[in-house]
Amino acid sequence: MSASVSSLEPLFTFVSNSYSNIETSFFKIPGSAVIARYVKSSHRDDPGRTLLEVILIIFAIRTLLQSRTKAEPSGKHFIEFSEKEIDELVDEWTPEELAQPLTAVEQSDLNAVPVIAGPVGPKPKLTNGKTVLNLASYNFAGLAGNAEIKERCIDILKKYGLGSCGPPGFYGTQDVHIQLEQDIADFLGTEAAIIYSQAFSTISSVIPAFCKRGDVIVADRGVNFAIQKGLQISRCTIRWYDHSDMASLEKVLESVEKERRKKKMPLTRRFIVTEGIFDHDGAMSDLPKLVELKLKYKYRLILDESVSFGSVGRTGRGLTELYNVPASQVDMLVGSMANGLTSAGGFCAGSHTVVKHQRINAPSVVFSAALPALLAAAASEGINIMRNTPSILSMLQENVRAVRAILDKVDCIAIPSHPASAIIHINVRSSSTVMPIAPMSPTSPISPASPMSPLSPSTAKLSNPVSVRQRGAPHFDMEAEERLLQEVVEDTLAQGVMVTRAKRLHGQEMIEVRPSIRLAISAAMSRKDCEKAANVLKASCIKVLSKRR
Amino acid sequence: MAFQSPSPQPSIFKKKAHGSTPNSTPALSLSSSATSSSSETVLDDLGLDYDNGLSYPRVPPTSEQVFTTVHSEFGHCANEKYRYTSQHRAGTQYKSYPEQDPPYYILLTTYLSYLMVICLGHLRDFVGKRLQPSHYRHLVSQHGYAALNSDFDSFYTRRLKTRIDDCFSHPVTGVPGRTMVLLDRYSPDYNVTMVPSGTRTRGLNISSYNYLGFAQARGGCADAVETSINRYGVSACGSRLEGATLDLHQQAEALVARFVGMEDALISSMGFATNSTIIPALVGKGSLVISDEFNHASIRFGVRISGANVRTFKHNDMPSLEALLREVISQGQPKTHRPWKKILVIVEGLFSMEGTLANLPVIMELKKKYKFNLFVDEAHSIGALGPHGRGVADYFGVNPRQIDILMGTFTKSFGAAGGYIAGSKALIDRLRVHGHSGCYAEAMTPPVLTQVIASTASIMGISSAPEKSSSLSLTARSDAINPELEMEAYPGRAPLSILPAWMPITPSMADGTDGKMRLRRLGFNARYLNRGLRKLGFITYGHDDSPVVPLLLFNPGKMAVFSRLMRTRQVPIIVVVVAYPATPLVTSRVRFCLSASHTKEDVDLVLTACDEIGDLLDLKQGSGERWSLQEITDRAVELVGMPELV
Ligand SMILES: Cc1ncc(COP(=O)(O)O)c(C=O)c1O
Repeated sequence: MSASVSSLEPLFTFVSNSYSNIETSFFKIPGSAVIARYVKSSHRDDPGRTLLEVILIIFAIRTLLQSRTKAEPSGKHFIEFSEKEIDELVDEWTPEELAQPLTAVEQSDLNAVPVIAGPVGPKPKLTNGKTVLNLASYNFAGLAGNAEIKERCIDILKKYGLGSCGPPGFYGTQDVHIQLEQDIADFLGTEAAIIYSQAFSTISSVIPAFCKRGDVIVADRGVNFAIQKGLQISRCTIRWYDHSDMASLEKVLESVEKERRKKKMPLTRRFIVTEGIFDHDGAMSDLPKLVELKLKYKYRLILDESVSFGSVGRTGRGLTELYNVPASQVDMLVGSMANGLTSAGGFCAGSHTVVKHQRINAPSVVFSAALPALLAAAASEGINIMRNTPSILSMLQENVRAVRAILDKVDCIAIPSHPASAIIHINVRSSSTVMPIAPMSPTSPISPASPMSPLSPSTAKLSNPVSVRQRGAPHFDMEAEERLLQEVVEDTLAQGVMVTRAKRLHGQEMIEVRPSIRLAISAAMSRKDCEKAANVLKASCIKVLSKRR
Repeated sequence: MAFQSPSPQPSIFKKKAHGSTPNSTPALSLSSSATSSSSETVLDDLGLDYDNGLSYPRVPPTSEQVFTTVHSEFGHCANEKYRYTSQHRAGTQYKSYPEQDPPYYILLTTYLSYLMVICLGHLRDFVGKRLQPSHYRHLVSQHGYAALNSDFDSFYTRRLKTRIDDCFSHPVTGVPGRTMVLLDRYSPDYNVTMVPSGTRTRGLNISSYNYLGFAQARGGCADAVETSINRYGVSACGSRLEGATLDLHQQAEALVARFVGMEDALISSMGFATNSTIIPALVGKGSLVISDEFNHASIRFGVRISGANVRTFKHNDMPSLEALLREVISQGQPKTHRPWKKILVIVEGLFSMEGTLANLPVIMELKKKYKFNLFVDEAHSIGALGPHGRGVADYFGVNPRQIDILMGTFTKSFGAAGGYIAGSKALIDRLRVHGHSGCYAEAMTPPVLTQVIASTASIMGISSAPEKSSSLSLTARSDAINPELEMEAYPGRAPLSILPAWMPITPSMADGTDGKMRLRRLGFNARYLNRGLRKLGFITYGHDDSPVVPLLLFNPGKMAVFSRLMRTRQVPIIVVVVAYPATPLVTSRVRFCLSASHTKEDVDLVLTACDEIGDLLDLKQGSGERWSLQEITDRAVELVGMPELV
C-alpha cells in the first residue's frame, strides 16, 4: 500500500508543480486576477450560473471550430511528396477534354430537332416554312395561344413587369403567386399549395425536403428522371416495386415492415413515391389501391401528376378526379403548370403543414427566384378556363380515343400507355415476343385494376426490392429501335406531322427505358386533324418498321 | 425593324441648359413638357404617398429634360456626375475590403443571445409538451406515422426563426423596381400565422436583384414582351429536344453567346436548374470538383447529383486553393491514386451573401499552371459588373474565352427568369444533349425569352446591320456561325440581324445609351453606398464595386429591429436580413442590393437611415477614418472617384 503511494509520489508532485506553474503564468496575464475573482465569486453566489457560462464557452468554441472549413481528412491513403515531386506530378497530369464532341448520331439527332417559328399550337409553322400538325407539344387543354390568357398576361405585365427579382423568402412572393397557390388548392381540394418556378425541379426538391437519411422510400421502378434525382439527393433508404404492380408494392411494404420489426429499428418517415400517369410509358397508377395500401401500411404518398394534371378527369384535375379519390388522401400531390396549364413551373399541393415545411426546406424554393408574375397569372387563368369549360377535357378524351383507334390496330408497334392517357408512347413491337411489352395491361379508368393473381409470373420470381432492376425485364436493342423510331419521326415530319421520340439520357436513367415515340394529344386539334395525323404516323410506322423484317 | 419613338426627342434626357447648384439632382419628369403626359412617368396606380419622393420626384422638373421611365420604377436622375464605370484598375491586385472583427463584447452578446433563445426554446418545448400536447402533435410520431418534421429537426425554425418571421416572405405587389409595394400584414399569434391587413405600403426597394433596373412595367423591354405575348402566347409547350424549340430560343442563345463573348450558349428556364441539371453533364465519377465554400446551393445540388468528388477551399483564399490543387493533383483519386479525369473549379463571379468578387486574375494564373477547367457562376455579376456589363471577366479585363464555362442567370440584372451556360460550341452542344434540361425540363417561355433578348440588346446597343444580313433574322441558327456576324468583336453591339424582326426597338436601346446609362448609374450607386457606409463607421463586407452590400449586424436580435425600423420609417425602406444558416452563426447581416434605378437621393436616404439606426443599435464598430453624414452626401462624387478608400 505504502509502496504504491510512494511510487505515485513523483506523479503527485508533478501534477501539483505543473498546476502551480499554470497558476502563476495565468496570473501573469494582465487582467487575469479579475477573471479569477469573478469566477470565484460568481460560483459562490450561484453555482448554476457557472454551469451556464461553461456551456456558453463550449458552445462558442464549438461554433468557432465549426465555422472553419474542415479539410477532408486525406486519411491513411495520403502519400507524402516533396515540393519537387508535386511539381513534376502537376506537370505530368493531363486532364481529359472537358467535353467530348457529340457522336455523329447524337449530332444528327440534335440537328433534326424541329424549330418552330412563331406560336405553338395545333398547327405551328416551322422555320423551314412548312406548317405541320402538332402531336408533340404539351398542350392538352389547348390553352396555348388562348386570347383570354394573353390578355390577362399583358395586364399583369403592365402592373408587375416581368421578373420577380427575388426568391419567395425575400420579397419575391407577389400577390399573384398567393392567388395561384390558392387557385390550385381550391381546384384540387387540398388545404394549400406551393409553387415552384420549374416543373422539372419541383419533385426533385419536394423529395429531399421531407425525406432524410434513414427514412424509407418505396418507389415504382418506372418513375421519371426528376423523381430519380430527388431520390438520389435525399439519401434515404430506397426500395423498389415492379412498375405499376400493386401486388409487388404490397410485398415490398410488407418486407420493409418485417425488416424493421426484426431489427427493432425506430419508426422513421416512410413514403411511397410514384406517378399518376408515367412519363416513361403513359401507364396509369391505380390510385384507389395505392391509397388503400398507404393507409394500411401507414406510408405517406408522394404522387407526381406532372402528366395527368390537366389531362385527365372531368375538368382536368387529374387522377384524383378520375378515380374520385379526395386529393387530401394524397399527402404530396405534385403537378406541372408547364404541362397541364401551358404556363410554366410546378406545384405541390397538400396540407398546411406539408406546404409550410417546403417553404423553408425545399432547395429550389429557397434558393431560386419566384416565377414571373405573368406566368403565374397565366396558370390561374388556365385553371379558371378548365374549371368553367368541362367540354375541353371531353374533347381531349375524344381525340385520344380517335388516335388510339387508329394506332391500336397497327401490328408493328406496341402502345404501353393507358387508353385514357393524353400522352401516348409507341414502342417497336419486337418480332420475337408476342406478348405486349406493357408490364400492366391497360384497364378502364372506372373499374379498378384487376388485382394481380398471386401466381402471376412477377410473384413467382420476385425482383430484389433493393435493386432498381426488375428481374426478367424484357430485352431490347436500344440503338436499333431508336434509329427506327427516329426514322419514323423524320418520315412523319416530311409528311407534315410533327411527332417526337421520347428523349432520354442514356446511362443516366436508372434503368434504360424502352425507346418510344411520345405523342401528346391536344384538345385544340379537331378530330379530323387528329385522325389525319394518326394515319400519317401509322403509314410511316408501317413503312419504316416493316422494311426491317 | 420597327423603330418606335416614345417621344419626339430621341435621347432619354437632354443636358441641362441653365446652370443649377451642383450635386443637386434635378429629378425631372415630363409634367411640364408638352411632349408626353405626366401620368406616363410618375404614375402611381395605387394613389399612395405623394410627398415622400417615392412616386414623385422631390424637385419639380424643368421642361428641358425628357424621361421615359416611371419614377417609382426607375428613378429620374439627370446629373451626369452621378455616374461611374466599374472596372478593375489594371496592374493592381484584387482586394476586397478586409473583414473586420467586431469588439469582443459584441461577439459575446451574440453568442449569449443565441444561447438565451436556445435555452428558452427548449424550456418552452419542455413545458409546452406537457401542458399543451395538442400543439406538439404534428412534431411527434402518431398513429404509426413518424413526424413529418420532428421537434428536434424543426427547433431552429420554430424557436428562432419564428421570432423574426415578420422580416421574411413578405408579400408584395407591383413592380419590384426602385420602389415596391408591400402588402401589410400582422400576426395575432407571435408570427405563427400572418394575416393581411388590407393596407399597402410603398417603400424604397433596396432588396431586389434588380441591378440594372430592368424590372419595369413600362419601357422598351415591356413593349417588346407585350408584342411577343400577342405573337407567341405564353408557352413553348414542352422540352427543348421534344419539339419545343422556338426560333426565339435560337435568337436568344445566339445573342447571349455574343454578349458574354463565347462561341455558343444554352438557355434553361430556371437559374437554379441551370446549375443543378447541367453540372452533372460536365463531371461524373472520377472527376473532382473544387468549390468555394460559399458557393450557391444550386451548385452544391448539381455537384452532389453528378457523383463527382468534391473538395472545398476557404472563401476566395487563393493560397488555400493552390495548396488544395497541389494536394489533389499529386494524390490523385482516393485509394487508387489514379490521376483525376478532370478537375473543375467552380467559383461565383460575385458572391451574393458576401459582396466579394472571384479573384479572377489569380485564378487564371493558377489555371494556366494547374490545367484545371474553370466554371464561373455569374448569376449576380453578369450585367452588374464590368464597363460593358459583361460580368467579372469584363471587370478584370480577362478574355472570356480563356474561361471554360460561364454560367449566369437572367433573374437578376435582366429582370427576367432562367439561366444560361456559355462555352465552346462542342461543349454547349454536348450539354444540350446530355444536360437534364434538354430532354426533361420545360423550355423557356416566349415572354421571358423576349425580355432576355430586349434587355441584353439594350445593354449591348444594336449595330445597324447591313441590309443583306437582316434577311437572316428568321433563319439565323445558333450553329450557323456567320463570319459577317463575327465581325464586331467582343464586347461589341448586338447585330440587328439576330434580333427578332418584329421586336419594337426604342432609339435609346438601339444606340446603347440606355444600357450605358444603367451600367454607369449602378456603378456609381454601388460604390457610393459601399464607401458611404464605411465612412459612417459600419462593418461591411465585400468589394467597393459590388452592388451587393452586406452590412454586419452580428446580434440576431438586431436583425429584426433593423428590418422593422427601416420598414416603418417615414419613407419606408425595404431591406433583406440574413442570418444563420445562410451565413455563419455570428455574422448576421443586412444585405442591400443596389440598382441602376436608384437615384443619388435614394442612396442618401439609405445612408441617413443607416446612420440613425446604426447609432441606435450600436452598429458602427468599423475602423478607419469617419466622415459625417453631411460630408458624405456632399462629397459623394469625390468619394466615389477616389481610387482607394483610406
Ligand atoms: C450564384 C447563384 N446561382 C444560381 C442562382 C439561382 O438562380 P435563379 O434564382 O434564377 O434560380 C442564384 C440565385 O440566387 C445564385 O445566387
